[in-house]
Amino acid sequence: MRDRMIQLLLFNVTNGLIIGAFYVLMAIGLSLILNLSNVINFAHGGFLVIGGYIAYTLEPYLGFWGALVASPFLTAIIGLAVERLLISRVYGRDPLYGLLLTFGLAFVFEDGTRIIWGAQGKPFTIPAFLSQPLSNQFFFITGYRVFMVAMVTVMIALLFLLLRFTRAGIRIRAGTLDLETVAVLGVNARALRSLNFAVGIFLAGLSGVLAGGQLGLEPTMGAGLLMPSFIAIIVGGVGSLVGTLVGGLLIGVASGVTAVILPPASEAIMYVLMAVVLLVRPRGLFGEEGMLT
Amino acid sequence: MNRPYHAAPLSRRTILKAAAAAGVAQFAAPFVITARAADTVKVGMIDPFTGVYAAVAQNELIGVKFAAEQVNAQGGVLGRQIELLVEDSANDVGTGVEKARKLIERDGIQFLIGDVNSAIALAIAQVSNEKKVLHIVSGGHTDGITGKDCHWNVYRVCNTTKMEANSVAELLFNKYGKKWHFITPDYAFGHTLQEAAVADLKKFGGTMTGNELTPLGTSDFSAYLIKARAANPDVLLVLPQGSDMVNCLKQIAQFGIEKQIHVAGLQQELESLEAMPPEARVGIWMFEWYWKQPGVEGVDKFVADIRKRSGGKVPTARTWFGYTSLMSFALVANREKTLDGVKLAKALGDFELPADVKLQPNKCYYRKGDHQLMTSSFVGQALKEGKSDPEDLFQVDSIVAGDKTSPPESETGCTLQWPA
Repeated sequence: MRDRMIQLLLFNVTNGLIIGAFYVLMAIGLSLILNLSNVINFAHGGFLVIGGYIAYTLEPYLGFWGALVASPFLTAIIGLAVERLLISRVYGRDPLYGLLLTFGLAFVFEDGTRIIWGAQGKPFTIPAFLSQPLSNQFFFITGYRVFMVAMVTVMIALLFLLLRFTRAGIRIRAGTLDLETVAVLGVNARALRSLNFAVGIFLAGLSGVLAGGQLGLEPTMGAGLLMPSFIAIIVGGVGSLVGTLVGGLLIGVASGVTAVILPPASEAIMYVLMAVVLLVRPRGLFGEEGMLT
Repeated sequence: MNRPYHAAPLSRRTILKAAAAAGVAQFAAPFVITARAADTVKVGMIDPFTGVYAAVAQNELIGVKFAAEQVNAQGGVLGRQIELLVEDSANDVGTGVEKARKLIERDGIQFLIGDVNSAIALAIAQVSNEKKVLHIVSGGHTDGITGKDCHWNVYRVCNTTKMEANSVAELLFNKYGKKWHFITPDYAFGHTLQEAAVADLKKFGGTMTGNELTPLGTSDFSAYLIKARAANPDVLLVLPQGSDMVNCLKQIAQFGIEKQIHVAGLQQELESLEAMPPEARVGIWMFEWYWKQPGVEGVDKFVADIRKRSGGKVPTARTWFGYTSLMSFALVANREKTLDGVKLAKALGDFELPADVKLQPNKCYYRKGDHQLMTSSFVGQALKEGKSDPEDLFQVDSIVAGDKTSPPESETGCTLQWPA
């Protein structure tokens, strides 16, 4: 009995890490935009849904792999257009403007998806060899989930390399700390913000394709995935991408383990965790001092 | 214009408030379809056209619109045309109640249809009762609507959860085994459905190995599935509906659980099966109405008529719910030659649906004591691929009459209080 419980817990810790990895991918895009542009992007879930549906539409022509590559880029282009036309107008204003704008955009995206693709969910199919467990005992580790975690790892690694070693990346990091000074030094802040936004939306689009393979593709699916990402950012600490990474994995594991002990609380535990972190360390686990007032 | 880059610092509180607002975001955005005319009979409909039940709500609307079109072409209700006023409850109880008040008080509707969501259906039934307006609940299944929370003015077309459980439980027990494990959506509908199934299971002498309560809107079911498989039951019953059901079955198929444990459930819908990839369409279920009924009068014509109005899609149980709700009102009003709510509510008790409305082989009638429609259950199996038609995703093995699945009126807990 005890052995079974321990096995169940271990299973759920592993499972939680897999789920957490997905939250991380979504949260990191959200975090990038928040850190540089001070916009809390409520429409991030909407971009995720668009990414998933674009992949669904392209799949018959390009196959799963083609759709996986093309869809995030197309989503990023849509993101770029939205940023240039709408979001750029609220930069430098009270954060509430950005909040209201993206809040409204989230509705527009959801209903737009419903108008274009219909309210009924779509069956997005993944290659058969990915769609099965790797072993009978660890049945919850499917080829697709391993692939998903690998994708997240590669993307995070690429992002950190980009931010560390490329000129644009270094400027984004510098801009996160003090955009005004960076702009005074001759960096085009407008282009920097657009690029950064597009990268964030690229990650949202990719999250959408990956989620579409595992979940039902449906206009409202973004809303449910957005909340854990917000919590991941708050737990990890605003302003820190590493914090977002840790925060995402942490809430994934917490929710997985709670599902064994007290299933109805598996969602609430994320909020409890957030409350505890905020009480003990108000700027979040890795939040940078002075980043936010 | 020159604006500073960080005019107002973003505080942690703002982010927290934003996170709180995200929860509220799901309950907004109404829309209205109105076509006002002078001398019409006004029919109000409230359903969740946005949110997770949007697909089924839209199908109910297709059925209601088709019924209105048919009734109007045949001379309307008491010689007056039906005018449809449609409101979005946005899957939110408060919004639903507000819309019900608006429809009744401001628009002066004579008849109300709705809602898919059980909690909203219960809440708006209180409003329609207070205002003495005849009301048919088209698609909310929780038992209370025609049970302990019943009202003299409220009827229901879709099944109760008890009827759904009774229609499949015995078959599941005999065919799949006696140890059952449940995945149950954690709200009114799920609770009553699961309780009804467990009551049947105990009656047959089976045991329950566990019940995983999952919040409405769960996307990842892996943790629950790990637990369910560890309990090693004979049958895993999947009770969530809509996108939750799609997510759950999709993950079951990817984990290969259906190869080790029988996966089944009670209520299943065409909208859900169509949203899944083929490998996830497994198990024994019940449909509340099915579009393929060879030899049953009127069904083929109904399917053809709906296809013309839905971009080629076949009617689902939801389309039939909507259609039947409005047809019941029109037929009874024309028969009684009145629009008086109390008289119509009295007349609907024991009202039997004619062949071209019931569209099923068994007798189909409203019960006087609890106002529940005695409608059939279509019990059978999900199909991976449609044989003759891509939308033929269910094989009906038996059609059980409503009065065989429903508990007797005396056991529903309903006591109707008629106005003096």
